[in-house]
Amino acid sequence: MKFTLPFIFLIALLMSCETIINPELEKTEPVLVVDAWLNSQPKSQNIKLMQTQPYFDNGLPPGVSSATVSVKNETDSRIFIFNEEATTGNYSWTPSSATDSLGKTGDVFTLTITSGSDTYTANSVLGRVPSIDSITFTFEPASGFLPDYYYAEFWANEPIGSGDAYWIKAWRNDTLLAKPSEMNIAYDAGFTESGNIDGVTFIAPIRQGISPFDTDDDGQLISPYKVGDSVYVEIHSLSKAAFNFLFEVQIQTDRPGGFAELFAAPLANVHTNITNTNPSGKKAVGFFNIGMISRNGKRLIE
Amino acid sequence: MRFFILLPLLFLIQPSFSQVLTKVTINGYVKDAANGEALIGATVYVKSLGDGAVTNEYGFYSITLAPGQYEISYSYVGFVTQLKIIEVKENLRQDIELAAEAGQLEEVVVTGELEQANAQNTEMSTNKIDIRTILKVPSFFGEADVLRSLQLMPGVSTVGEGASGFNVRGGNVGQNLVLLDEAPVYNTSHLFGFFSVFNPDAVKDVKLYKGAIPSRYGGRLASLLDVRMKEGNSKKFEATGGIGTVFSRLAIEAPIVKDKASFIVAARRSYIDVVARPFTDIFDDGAALNFYDLTLKTNYNINKKNRIYLSGYFGRDVFLFDKRQGFNWGNATTSFRWNHLYSDKLFSNVTMLFSKYDYKLQFGETDLDKFTWNSSIKNFILKPEFTWFLNSQNEVTFGGEAIYYTFEPANAVGVTNGVTSDISVPQRYNLEMSAFMGNNQRITDALSVDYGLRFSHFRYLGPGESYVFNDTVPGLRRTLKETTTYERGETIASYSNLQPRASFKWQVTPVNSIKGSYNRMVQYLHLISNTTASNPLDVWTPTTNNIKPELADQFTLGYFSDIGAKRMWEASVEVYYRQTQNQIDYIDGADLLINKLIEGVLLGGKGRAYGAEFYLQKKTGRLNGWVSYTLAKTELKVNGINHFEWYPTRFDQRHNLKVAAFYDLSKRWSVSGNFILTTGTPTTFPTSRYVVQNILIPLNAFDSRNNVRIPAYHRLDISFKLEGRETKKGKPRKNHDYWMFSVYNVYGRKNPFSIYFSQKDERVPMGLSPDSQATQLAIVGTVIPSISYNFKF
Repeated sequence: MKFTLPFIFLIALLMSCETIINPELEKTEPVLVVDAWLNSQPKSQNIKLMQTQPYFDNGLPPGVSSATVSVKNETDSRIFIFNEEATTGNYSWTPSSATDSLGKTGDVFTLTITSGSDTYTANSVLGRVPSIDSITFTFEPASGFLPDYYYAEFWANEPIGSGDAYWIKAWRNDTLLAKPSEMNIAYDAGFTESGNIDGVTFIAPIRQGISPFDTDDDGQLISPYKVGDSVYVEIHSLSKAAFNFLFEVQIQTDRPGGFAELFAAPLANVHTNITNTNPSGKKAVGFFNIGMISRNGKRLIE
Repeated sequence: MRFFILLPLLFLIQPSFSQVLTKVTINGYVKDAANGEALIGATVYVKSLGDGAVTNEYGFYSITLAPGQYEISYSYVGFVTQLKIIEVKENLRQDIELAAEAGQLEEVVVTGELEQANAQNTEMSTNKIDIRTILKVPSFFGEADVLRSLQLMPGVSTVGEGASGFNVRGGNVGQNLVLLDEAPVYNTSHLFGFFSVFNPDAVKDVKLYKGAIPSRYGGRLASLLDVRMKEGNSKKFEATGGIGTVFSRLAIEAPIVKDKASFIVAARRSYIDVVARPFTDIFDDGAALNFYDLTLKTNYNINKKNRIYLSGYFGRDVFLFDKRQGFNWGNATTSFRWNHLYSDKLFSNVTMLFSKYDYKLQFGETDLDKFTWNSSIKNFILKPEFTWFLNSQNEVTFGGEAIYYTFEPANAVGVTNGVTSDISVPQRYNLEMSAFMGNNQRITDALSVDYGLRFSHFRYLGPGESYVFNDTVPGLRRTLKETTTYERGETIASYSNLQPRASFKWQVTPVNSIKGSYNRMVQYLHLISNTTASNPLDVWTPTTNNIKPELADQFTLGYFSDIGAKRMWEASVEVYYRQTQNQIDYIDGADLLINKLIEGVLLGGKGRAYGAEFYLQKKTGRLNGWVSYTLAKTELKVNGINHFEWYPTRFDQRHNLKVAAFYDLSKRWSVSGNFILTTGTPTTFPTSRYVVQNILIPLNAFDSRNNVRIPAYHRLDISFKLEGRETKKGKPRKNHDYWMFSVYNVYGRKNPFSIYFSQKDERVPMGLSPDSQATQLAIVGTVIPSISYNFKF
């Protein structure tokens, strides 16, 4: 849970111990990975097809080439062919004009991929996004273990009607905040479908989720934003299935370690919406989502 | 009412022909002469009959015999045996007070005639731990702990430091019924799992039943931990306490009316925040880190036939980051008990109690943005129980229990930018009613049996909502199909179960016996956890129309032996097999907190646990202690997990070896040590990795669960005890004090708690992939020395 982070600072017991290890893992055949996160912007759209690697193989995952990739807007029946680029595994579609895009809010889409003898499909809905009204910076004076710091939060009102989900991405000085602990997703204005908070301003932890909390080598907090830094925020809409996917990804990837392991869920596979048209055929992993984007940015000046 | 349906069955017990002769009864209470505390499980032995009895939880015994003259011995471990020659002509009340053994050096103590000890215990699969042993066992941070001492018994294990609760014979932590003076305790730990909620200064007796659970108990599958607190010194004022590395403790007990009424107040509080306050400013803003418990008890012997007890327990863990944010949780119980002797042969105890377990979380620095979440379980319990000492061959117990539960899974409110949203989950109301009957029968001198039947009925009541879910591929979240609303008092779902219990003891020779048992147990409350270790936020969920009651059938068989001329050694081998149904597990990615549709992410399956426990104890002598070794396996089979094949549970530890040793070095110094080795704790490893949207995601391509075992856990702890001087300037000191110097984890092993896989904590430039790593975490990775000072006067 995100709440455990401040708690870990408080329980500064030096008892626990972590060691990096390199255990032997079972060998397996690679599995097709589909990274298809599209948006309705009138810009080039990209889908990546890759293979899984053995867990300890670092380096770029191998791309899968010679596949046919297409997206169909079921609502207006347009079909978009994604062509393979020079980089293996990258398939892209470019709009024909400055106003051409994949579709509009509410449209339903199907992704079809044929690789080798397998055909995979996935569905998504283009959800709505609220506009980001503003971004503010707040100064916190030093207290306890923490030094002076600035944090940023975005302000947006989530539209009324439950069932919307969002992925809020933030860039600090052009660097995407992409650590697992920085994944900022929302179901309506809150954390999950079950504790449903709808139609109001996003809750504080989500608004402030655009501020990264890094520590230096001594374990001291580094101020999320310094004077002169800029923050740029995008809200992407998610289908409910994509939200569930990212919720599971968060559980599996956000592992602060230490005492937080007492609260951690064991390793488990995350679900996928990419299905083989042959139910007993090879499985694929990854996800297909298409979303709207709203954006805003601000610079911290003295 | 249903309780009384079983009463007519009592008439099926055939009295033996010797009933024709007039028999008389000797009964009474056996107490500690020093403080008036009832001695639980003391032996009352009539040598000429080769028969006897054992005192119950209130120290009461009753023996039926023909009139005549008898030599009766009253004994209890650690106390001087009393022999009384009694002329019995009519029913006789004989209360006894036993004096504790004096002397520091534990010479070989004659525990009595061989035959006498055989009168003890048809019971099998039980471990009784003396409070004095609990105080001697080397402990974590120097704090004596009931649950840690329990870990040294065969068949008991834990997934690691920091995990709250304990596992018995492959059952999960929610399958143990923990009773504190008859009141159920839902969370037995302070500070997540490092300390238990039982204050050793106030504990009198601890007994763990791993099998052969008598019919008077029910409600959990794997075990019963019966903790009895002291009643309070009814002879003189006594203060006990100490200062350890973590807790400071004080218990005060005294008579209100000598030998008739007494009280005890025992309090314990962690004080690290008190000590740290002058050195740091983190506590200035309202931050708090403390845990405490308070026990208050009083009792009154109204007359020879009536005694009443009133007790309360209150414990809390408080973590506040500042005065507005933090969390706290704890148990609270209040109970009233009334012992009544209807006749010389009919003893009864009626308990009425209220218990509550709750936790509260609050976050938010201002009133415009905050979140509060309260969750609680409340029980109201009425439990009348009777023991009918029918004759010298039969001891019949019967009674009932009614429990009314109120579950508040989440009373949660979020305020965002000044607007309030109530995201509470509806409360659930349940009623559990049981009736039981059992008989402990001595068939021949060598064979005794204990058999019984418990009938339980559980109702899920309104007001509330019930949900029906759509079916889906097992392993996926089930979506809501329909909701039905119920009014107050309407029954939403109900279940009835019969639970037969039976055990036998066959005394093969005066020192060897074979015991076996069969139990059926039913559990209507379920502890649902999706984390590596159980923690205070785990969800207790009652049975509903979707969640079925858990059932268990357990068989045990064992061989028990007392070895040596003076019965210095005790050895046993016991095997068990338990199969369970309707075991609850959860889908991958389950969202368990504040989820009113939690039933849609739960899966049901079956389980099996089996093993062999070996135990050898040296009971007396300057060097004493025990070795226990358990070889065990526990696994589940759930549709939707691990391809519907058997998979090990998180607490399946194949080998479990414990050695506890105590040695008196001199009159004032003694040393104790324990060594623990467990192997094979399971975990799930990935096989592969993939990257989606710059995030590194692990994959187990075989979709298996718990496919790997983490490295073994082993640890040695040692402690030295220095008894205070007995005299000061020639006069005996009133204050009996001692120092404990402990070292936990002597060779500083970084015992693995878990192995987790994650990407390296660094910012990855665009276009590059994150690096993957595996980290082995030890919760306690160093040596922990500690000192404590303890007093009693």
